[in-house]
Amino acid sequence: MSSTVSYWILNSARNSIATLQGGRRLYSRYISNRNKLKWRLFSRVPPTLNSSPCGGFRLCKAYRHTSTEEDDFHLQLSPEQINEVLRAGESTHKILDLESRVPNSVLRFESNQLAANSPVEDRRGVASCLQTNGLMFGIFDGHGGHACAQAVSERLFYYVAVSLMSHQTLEHMEGAMESMKPLLPILHWLKHPGDSIYKDVTSVHLDHLRVYWQELLDLHMEMGLSIEEALMYSFQRLDSDISLEIQAPLEDEVTKNLSLQVAFSGATACMAHVDGIHLHVANAGDCRAILGVQEDNGMWSCLPLTRDHNAWNQAELSRLKREHPESEDRTIIMEDRLLGVLIPCRAFGDVQLKWSKELQRSILERGFNTEALNIYQFTPPHYYTPPYLTAEPEVTYHRLRPQDKFLVLASDGLWDMLSNEDVVRLVVGHLAEADWHKTDLAQRPANLGLMQSLLLQRKASGLREADQNAATRLIRHAIGNNEYGEMEAERLAAMLTLPEDLARMYRDDITVTVVYFNSESIGAYYKGG
Amino acid sequence: MFYRLLSIVGRQRASPGWQNWFSARNSTSAAEARSMALPTQAQVVICGGGIMGTSVAYHLSKMGWKDIVLLEQGRLAAGSTRFCAGILSTARHLTIEQKMADYSNKLYHQLEQETGIQTGYTRTGSIFLAQTQDRLISLKRINAGLNVIGIPSEIISPKKVAELHHLLNVHDLVGAMHVPEDAVVSSADVALALASAASQNGVQIYDRTSVLHVMVKKGQVTGVETDKGQIECQYFVNCAGQWAYELGLSNEEPVSIPLHACEHFYLLTRPLETPLQSSTPTIVDADGRIYIRNWQGGILSGGFEKNPKPIFTEGKNQLEIQNLQEDWDHFEPLLSSLLRRMPELETLEIMKLVNCPETFTPDMRCIMGESPAVQGYFVLAGMNSAGLSFGGGAGKYLAEWMVHGYPSENVWELDLKRFGALQSSRTFLRHRVMEVMPLMYDLKVPRWDFQTGRQLRTSPLYDRLDAQGARWMEKHGFERPKYFVPPDKDLLALEQSKTFYKPDWFDIVESEVKCCKEAVCVIDMSSFTKFELTSTGDQALEVLQYLFSNDLDVPVGHIVHTGMLNEGGGYENDCSIARLNKRSFFMISPTDQQVHCWAWLKKHRPRDSSLLLEDVTWKYTALNLIGPRAVDVLSELSYAPMTPDHFPSLFCKYALHVYNEVMSVGQKYGIRNAGYYALRSLRIEKFFAFWGQDINNLTTPLECGRESRVKLEKGMDFIGRDALLQQKQNGVYKRLTMFILDDHDTDLDLWPWWGEPIYRNGQYVGKTTSSAYSYSLERHVCLGFVHNFSEDTGEEQVVTADFINRGEYEIDIAGYRFQAKAKLYPVASLFTQKRRKDDMELSDLHGK
Repeated sequence: MSSTVSYWILNSARNSIATLQGGRRLYSRYISNRNKLKWRLFSRVPPTLNSSPCGGFRLCKAYRHTSTEEDDFHLQLSPEQINEVLRAGESTHKILDLESRVPNSVLRFESNQLAANSPVEDRRGVASCLQTNGLMFGIFDGHGGHACAQAVSERLFYYVAVSLMSHQTLEHMEGAMESMKPLLPILHWLKHPGDSIYKDVTSVHLDHLRVYWQELLDLHMEMGLSIEEALMYSFQRLDSDISLEIQAPLEDEVTKNLSLQVAFSGATACMAHVDGIHLHVANAGDCRAILGVQEDNGMWSCLPLTRDHNAWNQAELSRLKREHPESEDRTIIMEDRLLGVLIPCRAFGDVQLKWSKELQRSILERGFNTEALNIYQFTPPHYYTPPYLTAEPEVTYHRLRPQDKFLVLASDGLWDMLSNEDVVRLVVGHLAEADWHKTDLAQRPANLGLMQSLLLQRKASGLREADQNAATRLIRHAIGNNEYGEMEAERLAAMLTLPEDLARMYRDDITVTVVYFNSESIGAYYKGG
Repeated sequence: MFYRLLSIVGRQRASPGWQNWFSARNSTSAAEARSMALPTQAQVVICGGGIMGTSVAYHLSKMGWKDIVLLEQGRLAAGSTRFCAGILSTARHLTIEQKMADYSNKLYHQLEQETGIQTGYTRTGSIFLAQTQDRLISLKRINAGLNVIGIPSEIISPKKVAELHHLLNVHDLVGAMHVPEDAVVSSADVALALASAASQNGVQIYDRTSVLHVMVKKGQVTGVETDKGQIECQYFVNCAGQWAYELGLSNEEPVSIPLHACEHFYLLTRPLETPLQSSTPTIVDADGRIYIRNWQGGILSGGFEKNPKPIFTEGKNQLEIQNLQEDWDHFEPLLSSLLRRMPELETLEIMKLVNCPETFTPDMRCIMGESPAVQGYFVLAGMNSAGLSFGGGAGKYLAEWMVHGYPSENVWELDLKRFGALQSSRTFLRHRVMEVMPLMYDLKVPRWDFQTGRQLRTSPLYDRLDAQGARWMEKHGFERPKYFVPPDKDLLALEQSKTFYKPDWFDIVESEVKCCKEAVCVIDMSSFTKFELTSTGDQALEVLQYLFSNDLDVPVGHIVHTGMLNEGGGYENDCSIARLNKRSFFMISPTDQQVHCWAWLKKHRPRDSSLLLEDVTWKYTALNLIGPRAVDVLSELSYAPMTPDHFPSLFCKYALHVYNEVMSVGQKYGIRNAGYYALRSLRIEKFFAFWGQDINNLTTPLECGRESRVKLEKGMDFIGRDALLQQKQNGVYKRLTMFILDDHDTDLDLWPWWGEPIYRNGQYVGKTTSSAYSYSLERHVCLGFVHNFSEDTGEEQVVTADFINRGEYEIDIAGYRFQAKAKLYPVASLFTQKRRKDDMELSDLHGK
């Protein structure tokens, strides 16, 4: 049964690949049908080699699989094994701390990640600000490597947290730095088990953060920035620091190479800041955040909080055209990509689309071993008036209401496969089951007989098999749903057993964080104030 | 701005990093901790303040060792001890386990009196229910074993069960076993009482102290590194329960202690309307996979489910095992089973579902003894959820082991050294314990093989033999063929093949045996342990003469069967040694001797000797040709003349080639494959005892008729010689005897296994150690020891040949007694066929 599915995949791979001979255009369409590699012709392959040899390379590889290793596919994953694979990256966290004696408006969050790239290029982060109120959730989708996404996931929240600090706190921080005393703690990370370790800010990064707060101090604002401003500045400041760090002479070889990799790879970012009933979402790129809303009549709806920054967004097209001379109108977006190469039109890093040609050349001429670092200098055609790319976020404010039940943040790997409505429906379904599950056993039957009949009932309904984690459920459906939106076990198994080099052609890295709100405490805000 | 940034970077380079506040935060907790000075040295450091650690401390201090430190990472009696269901049950499968539990029962009984600490000890008795006839047979076997070591128990009818416990539904029962002296007790309080008694005897106890690792120098324990400082010590005892595995691996010289935890659930309820009496017997319904005891007027009930949940595979992040989740869905089958057994409980109010991890071992037996790798490193762990029952006895044996060098009983079945290195991988353990935990309540039938964690070690011929229908058993991780199923024959599925009666392979083994007797068979015996012992000078012989009881000064190429004895004259190993040349010897021992024998040789060879030891087990494949035509086959294959003493050893890389040659040459002589079941039948009917099964470190050569393999007058001393000389003078107190069952119907009667009581003139005199059907005698043959207990005092008296010969014998198989003829020597008729000496002797070697 699963072998038919493997044939489906292999045949479709074979067919698509067969059309590749025509040139890169078909190849790229084939990709974007199922999934889009964010960078094209970039980074990995030198430009001269790029069109047919690139396809040819893929071709050989794919044929190698289809012809000789077909029989070796092990698609017979048992449901348990599938669960194991899907659940490997999951985590759940309850928010227990009170916020000025009111339970936090965030009840808990569930998160999961499934890699397609090897290594995974998505990152995620959750942290609470310790000097101000607020919980931050971020999804960072890297491209051209994971260096940039890693750096942004490690550093962005610090910039936001510092931006929000009052003048007094900043002075305190600066005083501590000067007298070499321990700093006030800035963030409390709620790490996911499996996530790569956040380096608790290396000294260079700290120095740059300090410069930032010194500038904030110079502004002499009593209460710190507004959240909108803070998010706006933090994104841009971090991106400019990423860009400047590599321009400054660095002595340490490791830091230097890392900085280069960070600047020459890219990452889109979407983060939410929740403080009481104030929800801010900042987005740069094509990650997405949506809100699941239950109206008073019980109907569910979806409220998107971000707009994808890509070629399908008219506002972005207009912005790009506005920022560049009219002569470039036709070349800014080609084949639905920025300058024909990059799908998102806002991102961190990617200095290839930000710096002048001269600057790129002069930096790379400083004797980096670009080969080893997996970096290629590449200038897309029609590169006249950089920068073409910005990390400036679009910030959305939403005042949380008791009917706002959950927030889903996810990388485009999820949104490529599921619509906003699908996602809300799946989370709602998950909530319903979890509620049933919970209420049943939380108010557990008083006596053994009732307990037994309840357990037998649950056993019969197969409830135990359901995902405990909404993010896992979303990922399961994202890769397991067929064209008609139905879950297909064979397809799911097939998608999870794709060989490493094929996986990325059928699915992207998927990272999902679902944040549940506490309607009662949100309601209390309205009553109280 | 860009320039400003650069200048600040330059200036601030030396500024301290952000790490400061992290360290500041950490230091506050350190300040809070109590500063309690550990002693800097001690004779013994025990790690673990559960029932095992405290029991070892208690017994060591009773035996006069005073300089003992006990360390507990959390609080005393936390861990599994705290969550234990508190059932003390003596109905165990192994005699040694019965003895440990019996001792524990007696110890706990008087503990309150001794220490003044209430332990909640209540003698409730326990009832083991049988829903099937097979279960009843299993209970009857246990019952027979309990009775002969003085633990009262009886098989009772379902009606009697209902009288003893009014809540039980007995309609589906076929019988039960009642053990009236079993008890319930609070295990945590027992541990505290033992600790308190130990502490009064001078043992120093420190809680909230974690052992980081054990310091080892030259293969010897030198001390312990804890989070509160170092302690120098000579002995270390690892009683860390589920953390024992991790702790063992934390050494520089790792000690592998194969055990793994599984979640274990039991239910607590509120009291019944008329609260249950505290004397209400404990119920074990193994077919329903549950146990039920009274608990504060209500019940406590748990079980061993079919689908266990192993935990902590990744290691010891969890220091205390609180906060494990309830899993009602997982508990449902056990709950249903409980309500089937006690339907009236339906209305009983739930209090809690307790999740307490229990530790299991790869063979369902606990682990004790000294590490083969590190001297002075002792282990007592892996209790397979019987920690409370074994705690007292196991602690006593381990204490004896440390103080005297050996325990008062043979504990080989529990010895850490029974495991090899391959049995300690996390993956292996995780898989195996998932099989072991349900096995707690599965029917234990003869010749059971584990299904998981197999094929760890195989012969190079494995695939070849497997293709020819071999069915496999495992010994010490090594796969060995049991028998070969002919292509036209089907055997029963695993579950259906479980039986106490005649097994389905009877005819298959018969034809293999017949072929061994009439033509020639080849058995792959590569599993047995092979060492090479060499020295640069002439020392090898000298050293070996000291280590082994037989005279090894034989011509090169000759083979000697000998025991490796301990000071008491008991067999540490029963092996064959071939002299390869003047300075090197080749030693062949039973498969499961690989670790034990190695450790023994390392420990007992003279310190300054240049004796080189090499384990060459994996280097050689061993083929055993059995049968009258074996010589014909061999002489056709070899140009060298076949002498009876020629040693047949072949290099592994040619193994398949040789096997093929043997098979093709042997064709005209009717050669075929045979397995270990055929071999066992052959060896038992010829009265060949096997080490580990029939004989052990408490058996001397004189007690099993092997005087001829001991050269008391070989011109030099050897280990155990004095004891043997003395025994020769005084006579032996037990004697291995062969029994031929007379009135036993092979097709209809229960088969003997081992452990069956032997009665002489109606008096219990010992137990069988192994048994097999002899296809030649067409009778069952059992081997077993005959003692001579004084009728008045029960004391052991000298056993003479006359005593053996002048008796009427019966073997008790699950309560049925069968008449048996006792023999001190093999049946002569079996040897009338002219056969070569080496056939017999080779088959003698390696059955185990």
